Amino acid sequence: MPSVSSGHALDLEKFLKSLKGQPLEASINSLISLLKRRQIKGSEPCAVATAHILLQVVARSKWHDVDSLLANVSRTGRKLVGAQPNELVIGNIVRRVLGLIRDEASEDRGDTADESASDAPTPTDIVPPASSQQWTTRRLDSASSAAPAARPPIVSSYSSINPPKSLFHLLSTSPPADGDVSPFRNSGASTPTWRGNSSQIHALRSEVIDGIEEIKDEISQVDDQIAASAEVQIHPGDLVLVHQPSTTVERFILRAAQKRKFTVLIAVAPPRRHSAESQHATFRKKLSAAGITVVNVMNGGLMAYMSRVNKVIIGARAIVATGGVVADAGAAAITRAAKEQGTAVVVLSGVYKLSPESPFDESSLIEWGDSSTFVSFADGPLVCGAEIRTALTELIQPELVDTYITNLGTHSRDHLSSLISDHYKREDADFHIWEEAEP
Amino acid sequence: MAAEGGQPAPKSEAPAEKKDQAQDQKKGSKDQTKSAAAAPAEGAGEKKLSNAELKKKAKEEKAARRAAAKVSQPQPPASAPGQAGDGAKGGKPKPKQDGQQAGNQHGGKAAAPRSAAPMPAPKEAKPSVPECFSHLAMAKGVHLTHADKDVHPAVLLLGQQMSTMAISDSTTRLEATLLAFKKVIDSYTTPHGTTLSRHFTSHVLNPQIVYLTACRPMCFSMGNAIRWLKLQISKIDIDMADSDAKKLLCEAIDSFIHERITLADVVIVSTAADMISPNGDDVILIYAHHHLVERALLRARADGKRFKVILVDDPFERVGLAHAKTLAAAGIPVAYAPDLGALRTNLQEATTVLVAAEGMFSNGAMYARAGTCDVATAAFDLGMRVTALCETINFTERVSIDSLTYNEIDPERNTDEEFRLLFDTTRDKSISAVVTELGICSAKSVPAILRKLEEL
Repeated sequence: MPSVSSGHALDLEKFLKSLKGQPLEASINSLISLLKRRQIKGSEPCAVATAHILLQVVARSKWHDVDSLLANVSRTGRKLVGAQPNELVIGNIVRRVLGLIRDEASEDRGDTADESASDAPTPTDIVPPASSQQWTTRRLDSASSAAPAARPPIVSSYSSINPPKSLFHLLSTSPPADGDVSPFRNSGASTPTWRGNSSQIHALRSEVIDGIEEIKDEISQVDDQIAASAEVQIHPGDLVLVHQPSTTVERFILRAAQKRKFTVLIAVAPPRRHSAESQHATFRKKLSAAGITVVNVMNGGLMAYMSRVNKVIIGARAIVATGGVVADAGAAAITRAAKEQGTAVVVLSGVYKLSPESPFDESSLIEWGDSSTFVSFADGPLVCGAEIRTALTELIQPELVDTYITNLGTHSRDHLSSLISDHYKREDADFHIWEEAEP
Repeated sequence: MAAEGGQPAPKSEAPAEKKDQAQDQKKGSKDQTKSAAAAPAEGAGEKKLSNAELKKKAKEEKAARRAAAKVSQPQPPASAPGQAGDGAKGGKPKPKQDGQQAGNQHGGKAAAPRSAAPMPAPKEAKPSVPECFSHLAMAKGVHLTHADKDVHPAVLLLGQQMSTMAISDSTTRLEATLLAFKKVIDSYTTPHGTTLSRHFTSHVLNPQIVYLTACRPMCFSMGNAIRWLKLQISKIDIDMADSDAKKLLCEAIDSFIHERITLADVVIVSTAADMISPNGDDVILIYAHHHLVERALLRARADGKRFKVILVDDPFERVGLAHAKTLAAAGIPVAYAPDLGALRTNLQEATTVLVAAEGMFSNGAMYARAGTCDVATAAFDLGMRVTALCETINFTERVSIDSLTYNEIDPERNTDEEFRLLFDTTRDKSISAVVTELGICSAKSVPAILRKLEEL
């Protein structure tokens, strides 16, 4: 992984450097092709690239009100997601940015045009304007208890959708909204009356840019913050199994190695046809410098080791809403083996990898890789006679995971849904689908 | 064996010294001849002098060398306390007359108190097996020159093949072992004053077994067969003629191989092939390669059945590639997955899982290639049928509940850098059926079959 990721980091760096010199459309297109060619791959590079390009979209694209900004961002986001649908992180970052814009816009509106916003009826949508917070609370309430006692806030929020004086206000407020925004668009519904002057737009632009910078900072600090809980999780004398450690997992283990003495088993990736170098060499060197015993395990199925292993640590590529974890191929077998022996499975992941999507079909999250990695094309009988399936990623069943560690702390599976509602707006959950129907 | 393990260092030094001596002597003689040839005209007195000088020199050199040897000999045990321990073990039963032994014992005694202090030293000296797996067996391989002199050449060859994993499958190993033992029996003549049944096992057969075990730990089937063979030998009438007894034993071995391996395989293969549905809708998931599975699939195909195969390979030992090729060549549609990635997706497509066992424990656990357990467990999760193929000769009365009780370390990958276990243990709950030559049974009925076999 390290050797591979360094190669891709180069491409990411090149891309980030090229951002300034190019027109916006050109850099969007170059990112799309980089994603399609897998020259930028892995969740963190994808997230960083997405954040950068969206920053450019906010800073440089033409927009004169919130709706056109939202439309710009979601249009770009949709293209990126389409370029690499397996990287759920791209969609996550787009949703975060969309949510950020909505928040900033509603704050501004709260300052300037409070009344008109709160009264604004929406022609098509269930979502009330400026009520994203109401929405989350309502959703939580309805989720947490079905008791009628919990209803009052819901009723009140519904009352804002269908205000008693709606007819009058419908007439008075809707024309400006319809003037420049498609009535079908959900995003447009949130701010139908927001008519910013240039100074407001300027303020919004800088606030959103600041917000995206914060997201970028968050992504860069994730590894450190996750590593902070390493000592709590790893105890002296533990036998810790890591599967194809990503940088996040390496940092986590190395942090624990400063304080504790334990043994690390690394389940390495199967050797490719051409390369022969020892895997994770630098990681091993650092660990043995800290006095930690490191063993590279060359087994595909690790059931044999599980009776000894105390903890399994998996670095996630993405986490779906159900709690299932998208990870490198082979991790599912390991977590299943851990379950068999009652070994704890710890998943490390930045919050930005937590996706509100929940796939209907688990095989849709498997990324199939190059079949020639293991089978030579020169091998005629095999190429003709057999279908080669090289999975790169797979979904770990949610019930096989015991703990999720993110940069916000340690969570159980039940807590993930509230994390999701904290970070994403309900309106944006399906952003990549709802505009497909429009044109 | 301990004595042998400790010995090589001094032994290897000794020949070197001898060589030196020999070279010196040769040089000396050359000098002699040279001087004799170069100065034939010079006086004979000088010649004598030179001879005497040479002799003196040689004596001095010898003395110096002895002194050097005495100085150097205590050193190796000090530098490697592990060897000193071995030497001490081997030293006790050894005869005292050995000249080197005295020096060695001195060295050993001197090193004994020292060896207590640098305890971690031997661990560093052999960085091999990580400590948590150090209890497991491993095929170490015995160099031909270190083998016991009583080991038969056929067994020597077999041991090398086993230690290099050229013969690795349990029944193949068993068959090869029995055939080699046949040769051992063939070339055996009972010494005067004893009988075959009393002499052969302890003096001829056991060294072979010790050697084979040192090359690679015995598999369960070999243990079972050797127990059987020893029983047959002990049953031989002491009055029977040597040639008759040998013939009897060889015939018994032949029929054993025929019954327990050849015929058993035929029965298992045809039973397993019959289990494949003739409707053509079966998708069979197999793991890596085993000759029984391969033969069963080919047999079913030859019977005209249409089915698909998903082959999940062992990612670190790609034995499945050739297997996939064979199956594809026989006209079976094959999907090849190089590792356990997306195992659930592959399983969801399959209708049944076919694996082969290396052994069956009497608690119904299956001992098989590492990774089999992962496949079987995942299949069990999805409610699929997992069929194991195994000859009854591989059944053992031992019980194993986890994979680290009985296992073997890959001799080529036994370090921190690369570590690999060869087997794992699948619990009986994830095995639906075991196909043996006695029929299809459940994993739980292994002890019953074992009892039945004892009665036979």
